Amino acid sequence: MLEIKNLHAEVDGEKILKGLNITLPRGEVHAIMGPNGSGKSTLANVLAGKEDYEVTKGSITWNGADILKMSPEERAIAGVFLAFQYPVEIPGVATMTFLRTALNAVRVGRGEPELTTPDFMRLVRAKADGLQISPDMLKRPLNVGFSGGEKKRHEILQMELLEPGLCVLDETDSGLDIDALRIVSEGVNSLRNPERAMLLITHYQRLLNYIVPDQVHVLSDGKIVRSGDKSLALELEESGYAEYGEKAA
Amino acid sequence: MDMPANALTTEAEQGFAELYDGARAKLPGANNAWARELRDQAMREYAAIGLPSRRVEEWKYTDLRRLLGEAYAPAPALSEALSQDDIRAILGEGLAGLDCHQMVLVDGQLRRELSDFGFVGDQGEVTSLGTALATPPKWLKTSFGKVNPPERDAVLALNAAFMSDGIALRIPAGFAVTRPIHVIHVHTAKRPVGVTTRNFVSIGKAAKVTLIESFFSVSDAAVQHNVATELDVGDGAQVSHIKIQNENQAATHLATWMTRLGTGADYKAFQFSVGAALSRSQVFLIFAGEDSSANVSGAFLLRDRQHHDTTLVVDHAVAQCESRELFKAVLDDDARGVFQGKIEVHPHAQKTDAKQMAQGLLLSEAAEFDSKPELVIFADDVVCGHGSTSGQIDEESMFYMRSRGISEAQARSLLIQAFAGEAVELIENETLREVLLGSVADWLAKRNA
Repeated sequence: MLEIKNLHAEVDGEKILKGLNITLPRGEVHAIMGPNGSGKSTLANVLAGKEDYEVTKGSITWNGADILKMSPEERAIAGVFLAFQYPVEIPGVATMTFLRTALNAVRVGRGEPELTTPDFMRLVRAKADGLQISPDMLKRPLNVGFSGGEKKRHEILQMELLEPGLCVLDETDSGLDIDALRIVSEGVNSLRNPERAMLLITHYQRLLNYIVPDQVHVLSDGKIVRSGDKSLALELEESGYAEYGEKAA
Repeated sequence: MDMPANALTTEAEQGFAELYDGARAKLPGANNAWARELRDQAMREYAAIGLPSRRVEEWKYTDLRRLLGEAYAPAPALSEALSQDDIRAILGEGLAGLDCHQMVLVDGQLRRELSDFGFVGDQGEVTSLGTALATPPKWLKTSFGKVNPPERDAVLALNAAFMSDGIALRIPAGFAVTRPIHVIHVHTAKRPVGVTTRNFVSIGKAAKVTLIESFFSVSDAAVQHNVATELDVGDGAQVSHIKIQNENQAATHLATWMTRLGTGADYKAFQFSVGAALSRSQVFLIFAGEDSSANVSGAFLLRDRQHHDTTLVVDHAVAQCESRELFKAVLDDDARGVFQGKIEVHPHAQKTDAKQMAQGLLLSEAAEFDSKPELVIFADDVVCGHGSTSGQIDEESMFYMRSRGISEAQARSLLIQAFAGEAVELIENETLREVLLGSVADWLAKRNA
């Protein structure tokens, strides 16, 4: 279970999260929706442990463990995974080298043996196939020359490989066409199970047609201001975020 | 020898002049008038200019007058005996596994028992430079010292004055040396010595060769190594030229490459440096015939108080040639890396295509990268460009990798390897490429230890 209590966080001295509370049990999928600037991406980065984000108050525990005390790599080993909104391009680092290094680091950290090269290759190929990621794409440097959709599918591939307990997806639907959205959603849905918790961070309701959440939270000015079931997302789609601080276009 | 001594003011400057007086009669070729005059002339040139200081533009960042405290006496001719097994151990598994023709110089003397002379066929010649100076063949006498030498260069002058040995090689026209020629320099002297080596390589029309020069130490004692290589590349020849400098951390390494390319030639050069306290690698390349291409690239990784200077002059003297340079500097601790890259395009050198890039990666606050690109263009129909960057490890990339479970040290290593690897990947020989990627990993392993 993920428990976020009274979370306050700031970037460069600017207060962004101002007392955020969420309880996300294992086996559930929660969506966090909110206008631009409400703190959605800050929450994602704080969960993953980005250094420039300073937590000034509150706590975050995952299955009882205080993740704020952990480095980003320790969080990954503990099962926290962030699918980035904008995955970075890293020229010179081969995608397969990266995937293998990450998978083995996580496995060793969890007390499992490293995978042999053939086993690793088999595993990656099988999962890449399901996400329609071509072998050619895997031969390229990490995220270099990937289209927006390819980057997002590659994030989901990493999620499938690392088998996290807590999946945080930051604006995963942004920049995706309908086909890519379907592929990504199928990948995410296939990972839904009673042991795994998922947090979908999104501006638009569209993604939630494909990945149906158990609960929807509205984030506004650094706090959860409303929670409800999936119908809340539809309501937001209708009315917009005007009442939550976003100016009408 | 009488010479104007007024330019020689420091202890080291005067030391070289005194050492020359003592060594002159014993150096190879002392009984040959041509060789003797070559040395004396070089020494006169040196005496007139002295060691370069920072006031000499080409030496702005590497002030030898200040950095060289004293001149070390030439290493004794009789060095420690090394076996083939010793050489393999010195090279390490990867490099020792390279299928090549080895020529080994120990403390500046070519060791026949460790060297292979049979690879240029009946028409070619390969000999030790010492022998060639004592009884100079015509092909050597005509071109020696004349393959694109820099003007007023004290380091090159000292090289000609003191050169003890090296290889003299003539590859006949149309001849392909199938395996790389690997010239291995090993320092064994247990006290500070001067070592001066010189290679002269004449490559015939349409010949093919890969030449590797590597530098290692088995002793910790300081050495002043002055090495120069002349490469006269014939029309249509294809040449790979690779240097691996891994001398000990007390060494001074002063190297000069002079290369002249004929028409339609292809030259691919790579320099890799991790060794020596103070090193300078100068490369002078001239396009003397049209339609030739050259790629001169490299990587240097420095730590502690190491100082390395790569200074490059690419001279487009004729039209329609292409040059590329990519240099990567990884700098840790108090290390200082210097890159000076000059591209000259003469008035008639139309359709020149020249691009240069130098990038520094600073791993500490105190590390320094000085990069000075310079384009001198007198032709109007050319494509020329240069770039230089200096920066630290990208924090966004670090966070991305760490968020996938990769440790901070490992993530940093992957990024540094990627940075240097971009240049190393240019090496076509797969074994060498793997060896040097491995050397980058070894360098990083020491950092993380």
